[in-house]
Amino acid sequence: MSSFNPYTQNGGTILAIAGADFSVVAGDTRQSEGYNIQTRYAPKVFRLTDRAVLAVNGFAADGNMFVKKVKQRLEWYRHAHAKDMPLRSIARLIQTMLYSRRFFPYYVYNILGGIEEDGSGAVYSFDPVGSYERETCRAAGPAQSLLQPFLDNQIYFKNQQPAPGMSHPTHLPLQAVLALVIDSFTSATERHIEVGDGLEMYIILGKGRGLQGLEGVKGVQELTISEDGERIFVVRRELKKD
Amino acid sequence: MECGVRCPRRRRVRPFCTQTAMYRGPGFDFSNSLRNDFLQHKGVALPKATSTGTTIVGCIFKDGIILGADTRATEGEIVADKNCEKIHYIAESIRCCGAGTAADTEFVTAAISSNIELHALSTGRKPRVVAAMTMLKQYLFQYQGHVGAALVLGGVDSTGAHLFTVHPHGSTDKLPYVTMGSGSLAAMAVFENGWKPNMEVGRQPLSPALPSWYSNDNVRPAVQREEALKLVCDAVAAGIFNDLGSGSNIDACVITATHTEMLRNFVKPNERVAKELKYGFRHGTTAIKSEHIRSLVVSEEITPIRGEAMDVS
Amino acid sequence: MNSLIQRFAGSSSGIELQKRNATVVDDDGELSDVMWGSMAGFGSLAKGVPTFTVPSVPDPAAFLRLHTDDHADPSCRIKIQHGTTTLAFRYQGGVIVAVDSRATAGNYIASGTVKKVIEINPYLLGTMAGGAADCQFWETYLGMHCRLHELRNHERISVSAASKYLSNLVYSYKGMGLSMGTMICGWDKTGPAIFYVDSDGTRLRGDLFSVGSGSTFAYGVLDQGYRWDLTDEEAQELGRRSIYAAGHRDAFSGNSCNLYHVKERGWEFIGNYDINKLHYDGPGNGQGYGYEVRVEGKTSAVAA
Repeated sequence: MSSFNPYTQNGGTILAIAGADFSVVAGDTRQSEGYNIQTRYAPKVFRLTDRAVLAVNGFAADGNMFVKKVKQRLEWYRHAHAKDMPLRSIARLIQTMLYSRRFFPYYVYNILGGIEEDGSGAVYSFDPVGSYERETCRAAGPAQSLLQPFLDNQIYFKNQQPAPGMSHPTHLPLQAVLALVIDSFTSATERHIEVGDGLEMYIILGKGRGLQGLEGVKGVQELTISEDGERIFVVRRELKKD
Repeated sequence: MECGVRCPRRRRVRPFCTQTAMYRGPGFDFSNSLRNDFLQHKGVALPKATSTGTTIVGCIFKDGIILGADTRATEGEIVADKNCEKIHYIAESIRCCGAGTAADTEFVTAAISSNIELHALSTGRKPRVVAAMTMLKQYLFQYQGHVGAALVLGGVDSTGAHLFTVHPHGSTDKLPYVTMGSGSLAAMAVFENGWKPNMEVGRQPLSPALPSWYSNDNVRPAVQREEALKLVCDAVAAGIFNDLGSGSNIDACVITATHTEMLRNFVKPNERVAKELKYGFRHGTTAIKSEHIRSLVVSEEITPIRGEAMDVS
Repeated sequence: MNSLIQRFAGSSSGIELQKRNATVVDDDGELSDVMWGSMAGFGSLAKGVPTFTVPSVPDPAAFLRLHTDDHADPSCRIKIQHGTTTLAFRYQGGVIVAVDSRATAGNYIASGTVKKVIEINPYLLGTMAGGAADCQFWETYLGMHCRLHELRNHERISVSAASKYLSNLVYSYKGMGLSMGTMICGWDKTGPAIFYVDSDGTRLRGDLFSVGSGSTFAYGVLDQGYRWDLTDEEAQELGRRSIYAAGHRDAFSGNSCNLYHVKERGWEFIGNYDINKLHYDGPGNGQGYGYEVRVEGKTSAVAA
């Protein structure tokens, strides 16, 4: 009997960008194995609470199961403490959950995006065994080496000298961020065979921040459930299917 | 030589790279193979050859052959070329689609094309498809599969229309419709469903159920949309959309007894959408350490020569 | 390797893990009783030492190595982030801890902003080298136990005890594939102290350590400049300069340097220094560290 490999790679790419008071988490919807497409619509980005969104990428079975377990823990917390878990605690929870499988890892690269308790946008990225870090932007998946340098240049303004007397902004507005995300994915689709089919972007807005930046965006669907103030939206776009 | 002592006769040693040593002779150069084996053993990865992933198809119709191919070339999981040409020229009425290692298909078809031309001149007759097929299979068999070229060879000659597949190890099949490459299963499904003998060249009206990217812009006026051409395009499209190794546009080639028409980028179902933002960089974005401007023309003197001015129209 | 541990270790992780797996109620190894009620938020820690799922194959350590070990097989699928070049030395003014901030996953630079100094509590610092998750997780866990020690004993834990706790903990997982090379630094009753602890079970007290792939480069500068009676500025400069040397020459280290100073009343974060800026501009009021900056105009090299 040929040996059983418990892992496989299902392709796809995810990315998250944090703004001053919002967060965008996006992922393509193609799930593939080798040269075959398993499905053109398999979501990789999931709403955890009204202020936290988790994107998972790597081995889809581990990813889906991991999200289920995280949602379960959040629900237990909600019942025990009568409130949603704050974002940085969710990040720590994900670390301990991933590390508990240190010797039989979840083959998933996670990116958690959302709004912190102080109202700022935050992105936390994880490696498969739980090491994590808070950042402004992160791409993960097979096309990460295509996207991350682009994001480093456009979001962190790396390798760009500012105009004399000016300095680069620390945060970009929502409209610019959404445009960058869409361009990132259309470009990744051009050059990476495992990226394509569809794009799903989750936008989490902080409390008290109006909807500026979302006007003019087509197909915005709201997913907010609670009345705490943070709002969460999803936007879907088509990507090339070849 | 001025020395009084008699110098021992020495054989004149030719340095390694004289002009004659530059000519390496025909065939492959294996001088690096020992070193490469050693490096691989030590863990150095061989560079990935560009492979064409690919969907290539061919089918016989009433008047001849139609060949079809996608246009994506991959390097592992990355798309190296979004619009490469996979239908190669062998002779006027013989064409060959190539799948597998891109360099291998390019060179093997070019070599055989050259040999076919010489053969045609030597025999005084138009080249036959079986001749090209035999040359290809004998060459590939000689290299025992190391030349990674999987080909769909088709053409019309004095004996009629013929369609062959040639595999990297040298085996061939003669069939009325064939597909090769990673998308061959998807394409063959379409062929098995739709192929029938003696498909018409006729002027059938466009079926309303055609996908939206079948636009009028893609048609050359001389060739109407034949049933067979549509089938070939559907087969390649199946490979493009269902196989990750194939993508971008559809090339086709219609070969008949009288006329060969190459339809490059016949259908373009995967045009890139316009980008959301403009990505220009202001002058000075990359720090300038020093600037040195040199004029290439130091001084210029124009002397008009008697006679007419140069005609530059 | 496993049999060696079984014979000589008191309660080896392997045996314990297998015992726990044998009493498991449901498939994923978590005893679900603890998940209800107010214990819900505390997860598996409520049971004491964290429990780990182990694949039921004959040799779990080999399984893990097969899938995650970069050194043996660079094309393994699961790429775990590794950290590199950290250093710490003690002198009359306390302890200087300097680290770089690059994390690599295979040959890809996963991040240039990793925090490799883990603030265990306001007077203890731990550094990260080797597997980032291993260091982050166990040092956070150590912080929890240091706090419990304080509450139980009405007294701060000594650096020696903290490092011993960590060392014994990772020793029980010896052979399972953890990768950690950390320095526990602090100031306790005995003065400033540094302990080097790694996942093989080594625990060493010392005056000066550097850990990671770039440690050899850092030692070059550190050994030459170290004295007990450095002033605070000189000591910080030495730490910075050593990390710069490692970041400059080692491919797996770089990006920026994080500098901490542990004093009697606790640690203090001095600053984050971009290594590229240090090369050209130096630490601010000095000259750039890069050699071409220092010898500009004096070499025989042809000007650009």
